[in-house]
Amino acid sequence: MIRRIAPLLACLGLLVAWQLASLALKNDSFPTALEAIRAIPAVLGDKDSLVNFGASLRRMAIGFAAAVVISIPLGLLMGRSRAVASFFNPLLMVIYPVPKAALMPIIMLWLGVGDLSKTLVIFLGVSLPVIYHSFEGAKAVEEKMLWSGAAMGLSAVQRLVRIVLPAALPEILTGCRTGLVLALITMITSEMIARQSGAGNILFNALDMGQYDTVFAMIIIVGAMGIVLDALFERLRARLVRWSEPQFDIPLSFS
Amino acid sequence: MNGRAITSDLLLGMIPIVLLVALWQALVSFGYAPVTLLPPPGQVFSRMAQQLLSTTFQQEIAATLFRLFAGFSIATVLGVTIGLAAAVNPAVNAVVRPIVRVLAPLPKVALYPALLLLVGFGHQSKILLVTFDALFPILLATYYGASTVEQKLIWSAMAAGTPPREILFKVVLPAAAPSILTGCRIGLVISCIVVFLAEMITSTDGLGHALVTAARTFQAVDMFVPLITISLVGLILNGLLELVRSYLLRGFPEA
Repeated sequence: MIRRIAPLLACLGLLVAWQLASLALKNDSFPTALEAIRAIPAVLGDKDSLVNFGASLRRMAIGFAAAVVISIPLGLLMGRSRAVASFFNPLLMVIYPVPKAALMPIIMLWLGVGDLSKTLVIFLGVSLPVIYHSFEGAKAVEEKMLWSGAAMGLSAVQRLVRIVLPAALPEILTGCRTGLVLALITMITSEMIARQSGAGNILFNALDMGQYDTVFAMIIIVGAMGIVLDALFERLRARLVRWSEPQFDIPLSFS
Repeated sequence: MNGRAITSDLLLGMIPIVLLVALWQALVSFGYAPVTLLPPPGQVFSRMAQQLLSTTFQQEIAATLFRLFAGFSIATVLGVTIGLAAAVNPAVNAVVRPIVRVLAPLPKVALYPALLLLVGFGHQSKILLVTFDALFPILLATYYGASTVEQKLIWSAMAAGTPPREILFKVVLPAAAPSILTGCRIGLVISCIVVFLAEMITSTDGLGHALVTAARTFQAVDMFVPLITISLVGLILNGLLELVRSYLLRGFPEA
């Protein structure tokens, strides 16, 4: 029971800390938690902003789905074949530290400010961690299992789908979870750069216009989106890979 | 792996990068993309060489690096400390776990407007954002690594009469080192990305600011230069971390 409500308690604690901090600072541009929460219905009640949220979520879903569908097979292939790995690794290493949302201005020049460029940026942002984790996961698959599979007459493709994929699944899902958070981050930043629609647009427009309670209300909403999406994904993940759950909840005993 | 295999791997890895540059050149040469939107690679690289020698651009790099290192170092110290504490102390664990569960999936970029309003437009807000973003991967990796230390190791140390405080530093910390360093690596890439984004949002200097300035004046060449620079910075830092890793983990098998 305590376990289940602990995250809620943590949220509550953070909000209380916020409330106290803003009361103590008495800063015009730092509304209290209550004021920010009171501004949420105004933001959510507006039809325009709901359309914006819908657009954001749609781009994020498409970008994320496309990235996962392409990255997992690529990562698994890289993990199982040294040639494929050494073919793609340097390229990925070069791309990894580039902030994908920073490509926005360039991509905008080519594809415009519409959905296509933003979805593409989200796609790029999500694919790298997913590729990386699939790669690591596939690399760590035990050779013996593959040998047994081969001895039982599985073809290379069948081995990849029926042995490597399930064995690497925990690692792949860790990558997807990172990818989910990154998708949200990239979504917000891409909309901040191409101010045309979306949640990031509302947030940063409110900042520029000095509507601070809207800014903080949006922070709460976007944060809640992240937490809810992560919790949903975590539930899915727990169901898929229940067999591999590490038992590291037990604290080490030596004190 | 012998020397020749490494060389051929390197050659294989160069292929996609060379192909990419060739495609880029071809797009320009055959007139598919106007030079104003996609400058030829030669022009970009010569501009880059010229910029790297200029003091103004070096100052931009220095500003970015300073924020990156400051944020990343704070995140590493905090992450390792909190992660270790949560792994060995049940009381800390009970408090930290739910808070981390709530804060980790939160898209920190959304907090950036709040940081701007609270600590201003200077270095602090960017350093804080980098810290927030790099903290959680490091913290989680430390926690995971420290929680999965083999209990037998600790029992042996206890049997040998090591006091609890020393067990923490002589057994748990070294045993968790590989995991911590993996977390640091992820944190480092994230730091590169976030510092750039923060500079793009509001800044008067730094690589991100250089990109935004170029984008506002439609200088396509100058937009590529900061992006390639941050990619190089990421590569170099990753290489340095790899050196640190192989030094720290010299006793570990296949580290």
